[in-house]
Amino acid sequence: MRLLIDLAIAIAVAALVGFGSAVLVLDRDSLFGAVSRGPWTAWPDSGSPDADPYSKAILARSGEVPLGAGEGIAFLSDHDSTGSRLSGRCNYEVSGQTPPARLWTLTAYDGDGQLMRNPIGRTEFASREILRREDGSFAITLSPDVVPGNWLPVDRDANLRLVLRLYDTPLTSSGVGDAVLPAIMRGSCR
Amino acid sequence: MIRTLLYVLGGIFLGGIIHIAVVLLIPDFANRDAWTSMGRFGPDGAFHILPMSEPGTEPLPYLDPRLAHAACRFSLDDGPIRIKAAMPDEFWSLAVFDRRGSNVYSLNDRTAERTDIDLVLATSLQLTKLRENPVEALDQSIVIEIPATRGFVLIRAFVTDSADTNRVNTALKAAQCSAPLETAPAPPQPAQP
Repeated sequence: MRLLIDLAIAIAVAALVGFGSAVLVLDRDSLFGAVSRGPWTAWPDSGSPDADPYSKAILARSGEVPLGAGEGIAFLSDHDSTGSRLSGRCNYEVSGQTPPARLWTLTAYDGDGQLMRNPIGRTEFASREILRREDGSFAITLSPDVVPGNWLPVDRDANLRLVLRLYDTPLTSSGVGDAVLPAIMRGSCR
Repeated sequence: MIRTLLYVLGGIFLGGIIHIAVVLLIPDFANRDAWTSMGRFGPDGAFHILPMSEPGTEPLPYLDPRLAHAACRFSLDDGPIRIKAAMPDEFWSLAVFDRRGSNVYSLNDRTAERTDIDLVLATSLQLTKLRENPVEALDQSIVIEIPATRGFVLIRAFVTDSADTNRVNTALKAAQCSAPLETAPAPPQPAQP
């Protein structure tokens, strides 16, 4: 009897520790292989055969198809340049320079990684179509309200996640290195 | 008491093994992974155009809403497969993944140095056979060794504006995921007199 109780305890502990820890670890963004530049983070190894087993498991659970090294690299940001969580209650300006790439797109998602409905049906900007200043730099404004210039509409009551995808960029072969990415500056909030 | 404690310790140790097993086996058994999700779009062995990502209807998570996508699940069980597509003169890229979602190969229109796609996917055994008996039609093809027998290919193509969607979709629709290895049977050689 005593043996059975002890065995039951051991099995319960094993299941709890084993599955519990696995779920805890796999429910978050990948821990390993992250490369951060300012507010942006990329996982260059994501989806590659060299990726660690945790990254592979997280990828399989999410169902994403990451960009291959020959395609490009994606940078993700949940925070502005000062480290505050991106929120639809504030306006943000994404501005500056992007690393060399033949094409890039900037897409706004909510905190769950879903695109947001908006009256003008715009969920992203592509490098070819943004209005630029004379020196080639640009500013994209994220706001729930209409703003002049490059307006990327967002939901007022959502957390935000930005994804900057660089296509055909030397960063995938030479590494992210000291690449300079756009700043995300917070404007007015309500 | 001490005995129970030992069993608890044993349980924690076993839990560690379960943890490792779960993490290692998830790519094979996940039911929301990319390979499984792609089964929704149509039968294997052919490209299917994924609906453009729009709020509320994203075919796969985190696909660029600005790009058109076509996906094909393939199997190498019945021999090598050949992928052919004539792509528009804009940015496109292609990536080959194995069943577990590892990226085996990827290229874009500039690295391909041509606007059409012509790839042959083969296992290492099939590759050896192909090398022994080269198929002339495959001279210009990029031949890739796949360390698995099942996987998927995803083509991404940039859509410049909404008017461009049709052009890109037409190209993606015409993409072949199981093109014949030999384009035409070789004409019989005339008998030597």
